[in-house]
This record gives sequence, structure tokens and C-alpha cells, in this order.
Amino acid sequence: MTAAGRALAAALLALAGAARADEIKPGSTFLSPEMQRQQQDQSRNPGYLWVEQGEELFSRRDGVSPTCISCHADPKQSLRGAAARYPQVDAASGKLVNLEGRIEQCRVDRQKQPAFGYESQDLLGLTAYVASLSKGMPLSVSAEGAAKPFYEAGKAFYERRQGQLNLACTQCHDGLVGQKLRGDTISYGIGTGYPAYRLEWNGLGSLHRRLRACSLGVRATQFDYGSDDYLALELYLAVRARDLPMEAPGLRR
Amino acid sequence: MSSPISPACVHPEPALSRREVMAVGAAGLALGALPAPARAAAPPALAELVARITEGAVPERGRITFDIPQLVENGNSVDVAIQVESPMTDADHVRWIHIIAEKNPFPDVARFHLGPRSGRAEIRATLRLATSQKVAAIAALSGGGYVIADADIVVTLSACIDGG
Amino acid sequence: MASFNARITMPAEAKAGEVVEVRVLVRHPMDRGGQVDAEGRVVPRKILNRLTVTYAGEPVFRYDMHTGVSANPFVSFTTRAIETGELSFEWREDGGATFTRTARLVVT
Ligand code: HEC
Ligand code: HEC
Repeated sequence: MTAAGRALAAALLALAGAARADEIKPGSTFLSPEMQRQQQDQSRNPGYLWVEQGEELFSRRDGVSPTCISCHADPKQSLRGAAARYPQVDAASGKLVNLEGRIEQCRVDRQKQPAFGYESQDLLGLTAYVASLSKGMPLSVSAEGAAKPFYEAGKAFYERRQGQLNLACTQCHDGLVGQKLRGDTISYGIGTGYPAYRLEWNGLGSLHRRLRACSLGVRATQFDYGSDDYLALELYLAVRARDLPMEAPGLRR
Repeated sequence: MSSPISPACVHPEPALSRREVMAVGAAGLALGALPAPARAAAPPALAELVARITEGAVPERGRITFDIPQLVENGNSVDVAIQVESPMTDADHVRWIHIIAEKNPFPDVARFHLGPRSGRAEIRATLRLATSQKVAAIAALSGGGYVIADADIVVTLSACIDGG
Repeated sequence: MASFNARITMPAEAKAGEVVEVRVLVRHPMDRGGQVDAEGRVVPRKILNRLTVTYAGEPVFRYDMHTGVSANPFVSFTTRAIETGELSFEWREDGGATFTRTARLVVT
């Protein structure tokens, strides 16, 4: 390794300074111009296949009563902006819930049906559909009041070195933004494009699936889908991305 | 309900190595990780694969454009666009366009059948490319001739890996 | 399998003689066979192997797909607007299942 290389490697070992809020850019900014264009194009972005499935499920009967649409009439209006407020603390239980969690809650408590299950195609479809209704709207989650302890836990997770490589999220997603790694360009690591269609997955996946990939990347514990750890992290990422436009369904490498 | 992890994936993505991450920190570019580009000269295999579909005829170069990224970001889905200069009349049109990826396990990738009703000889599609290689587009013309265009492409992430 | 759905994007109306672009995006894993799934089983090949398009009953486009076509494939082609009628899309899957969709083109 050259002297300059050693100096930079040493810099990497130190914790990177967090990016300023006004520096943070959407994940799509780090895609090739071609993929950015494809993400916007509803005839080309395969994520819209799931959005369409979700839209169908939203009003489908299949013997299930009430349907989503019977309680959420005119979802294009009534649920516009809803996804931009998640994760949030559920008033009744005091738990942090994300959009997937809220949809499952309606499914189980209000429709009296078995949960879809995290990462099932049905839940991905419904989440993508509801998220798409907020496309372009600014993300606006709260880190105050009841959300505060979750936010603090998420922040601590984000800054904690972990795994065999002993790397924190911030070292890549603040310290190495714009650099190439395994054919990818490191972004600010925010979740505004999820659920996203990832070429590597050949399908749509949730933010927690992406987080599991990053945990595996540094050989750290992969937490469960919907786990408290990833929920708190999701909240922290959402606060980092505050006021940025929602872009689900995103298109990623 | 399909499995969350696509069954189309053989080898899970290995975790990063410290060296890879250091390379990013140190050089800023992990280009060293790129596989070597495909050989420049057309390997005989491709000529044979082409001859098989042209009944031995050697296609001409020209009149056909083949757009494919030289550096493929992920082999799972690669956008291609092919255009052939043709009036697309009953007397003079493109009958089909065929794509060959010489190093794919099954090199015949796809064939698009066109005709005078097409109006233009212009198609776009998404392919799966196993590795860095030469990819060719061959068009069969109504008069009996063939035209070809090919491209050497580098695949940074070959089809089918999953870190999730 | 995940539900089959197709997104067909084309103009609803065109002038006679005009060449229109038709884009088709379809949901299918295009399992090319031989891979090992999460439970260690070998996945058999199952792909959509053909898309045939007719326009007012006349064949206008055919796409023969092999294992080198991506999952959830996209394809775009052109056709000349001749008469008001239906474009009919039929996919054939390994094993013989077929899926069909239609879209109407009004020619003015
Ligand atoms: C019986 C009526 C009912 C049914 C059926 C129902 N919901 Fe709900 N849903 C509600 C109510 C009431 C709330 C408000 C809960 C709250 O804010 O605490 C809600 C909240 C939501 C929210 C969050 C809205 C926001 O602004 O935060 C989403 C998203 C949602 N439901 C989606 C769905 C989906 C998807 C389905 C079908 C799988 C569904 N709901 C079925 C009654 C229903
Ligand atoms: C070794 C560097 C590295 C570390 C450490 C790392 N990631 Fe990532 N992360 C990546 C790369 C590379 C990508 C893919 C390119 C991109 O979108 O940034 C990525 C993608 C993401 C994305 C998706 C962004 C998008 O728009 O698609 C999120 C969210 C994310 N990371 C969060 C995290 C979190 C949270 C942690 C800590 C648990 C973490 N990452 C740790 C390298 C890293």
C-alpha cells in the first residue's frame, strides 16, 4: 500500500463525520442517468408490477370483508402522504411501527385475517402501492416525544462499529459517499426508495432486506425483518432523510 | 407465494473483505475488482454460432445498430436496443433479429420476429448476461441476406448474486 | 408463483399509417433451471418462452425467449396503425400454460 493509501486507510478507521442534513441526497442520485430515467418511467420500472398488484389487493374481496378500500375510500387522496409519516409510534401500543407494520395491523386487527408476513409478495405489493401514493412528497417523520428513545437507539446503531469488519454504517454512508464498491456507488444510505426493485434480487424488496444485505456485507448480525433494531434504524434513516422526496418504488442495482 | 430470496440465485454474495473496503478508502475506485474485458478478436465459437442461424452465410456489417452498455452494472438485467435501417415494405423488410451471447450457458438469447406491419425495425429488451463477453445481434433480411453488429461488454456483477 | 401481471403501454389512438411503439413489462421469475433454492432443492427451468402479438387478428410480432432473457422482462416493438382493433398478447410458459391480455388501438 502506498503512503497516501495508508493515510486514507487510517482516515477510514476513524469515525467519519456525519453528513449535514442539507448534503443528503436521494438514493437515485447515485444511479446511472439511464437507471434514473427508468426509475421514473412507469412503463419500464418493474416495481410498478408490484404497485399494480397492491392496488388490486387493496380492493379485492376473496371473501375478505371489509376490504382495505371499504375503510380507506379514495386512497389516492385519503392515503396520500401517509407513507411519508412512517415509521411512527403507535399510540395504542407505544410501539414503533413502519408502513409494513401498519398494514399488517389493519390486516390482523381490522380484517381479522392471518398476517401476510414480512417480505411476502402480497405485503410488498400493498406497501409499494401505499408508498407510491406519496411519491414526490417530502418525508416527514417525528423524532420527538414518544419517538425520541427509538430515534436515539437508531442513531446509536448507525454509529456503532460492528461485524468482523468492525465498520459502522456512518463510515460508508457518510465517509465514503460517491465511492465505488463492488460495482455500486455508495449513497447516503437512506430508505426513501423502498420498497425497491433491485436487479440483484430480480424482484421487489423491503428496506429491511436491504439493511440485512448491509449487515451481511460487514459480517455483522443480520436482524430479523421487522425487528426492533431495524425499526429504530429505519426511524433514524428517515429523520436523516427528512424533507427529501419519497421515490418508491425505487430502482436499484 | 414465491420465496423472498429468488431461487434463481446459486451462490450467495460473499461478505465484503477488509481489503475491498480498504481499497475503496485508499484508491476511491475499486476498478481492480473488474473482471478482464472479453477478448477483442471474435472467438471462433461466435462465428460458428452465427453460421448456425444464417445457414452458413456470413452476415454483413452495417445497417444495424446495437446499443448495449459496455460496462454492465448487473448481469441480471441488461438493456439492449437494436435498430436496422429498412423501409419495412413487403418487398424489403427485416424478418427477424436474433441475439447471441457467446459465453452464456445457452448462447441463443432471444429472437424477435418482425415484418412489414412493424413499420420500423426497432426493438428493445432486457437480457441476462452470465459474464464479460461478446454479444451479437443478427438480422435476417427479406432478400435473403443478413446483417450483424456486435459488442464486447464487461459485466461487473454477473447474473445472480444476493446479499440479502 | 407470484401473480402474473403485465403492463402494456401504448397510445390509445393513432392516425392511419402511423407507427406506434408498444412496451410490455411482465412479471415472471424466468427461472432458468439448475439453481438451488433456499431449501436446497434444484429449481426446474420455467420461463415464458414466447410472446405472440396479433393486431385485429393478424400476427404482427413474436418474441422467442430463452434462458438469457431477464426476470420480469421488458420488451418494446413497433407496429403500423392500420385499423381500429384489439392487440392481443399471448405468453406461453414452459409446461404449456398461457396467459393473455388485450389492448385496444383506435385508428383515426
Ligand atoms: C375496518 C376498517 C379498516 C380496514 C379494513 C383497513 N384499515 Fe387501514 N386503517 C384503519 C384505521 C381506523 C386506521 C387509522 C389507524 C391509526 O391511525 O391508528 C388505518 C390506518 C391505515 C394506514 C395508515 C394511515 C396513516 O395515515 O397513518 C394504512 C397505510 C392502512 N391503514 C392501510 C390499510 C390496508 C393496506 C388495508 C387492507 C389490507 C387496510 N388498511 C384495511 C381502518 C381500516
Ligand atoms: C462497507 C460499506 C457499507 C456499510 C458499513 C454499510 N453499507 Fe449500506 N450500502 C453500502 C452499499 C455499497 C450500498 C449500495 C449502494 C447504495 O445505495 O448506497 C448500500 C446501500 C444501503 C441502503 C440503500 C440505499 C438506497 O437508496 O438504495 C441503505 C438504506 C443502507 N445501505 C443503510 C445502511 C445501514 C443502516 C448500515 C449500518 C447497519 C449500512 N448501510 C452499512 C455499503 C455499506
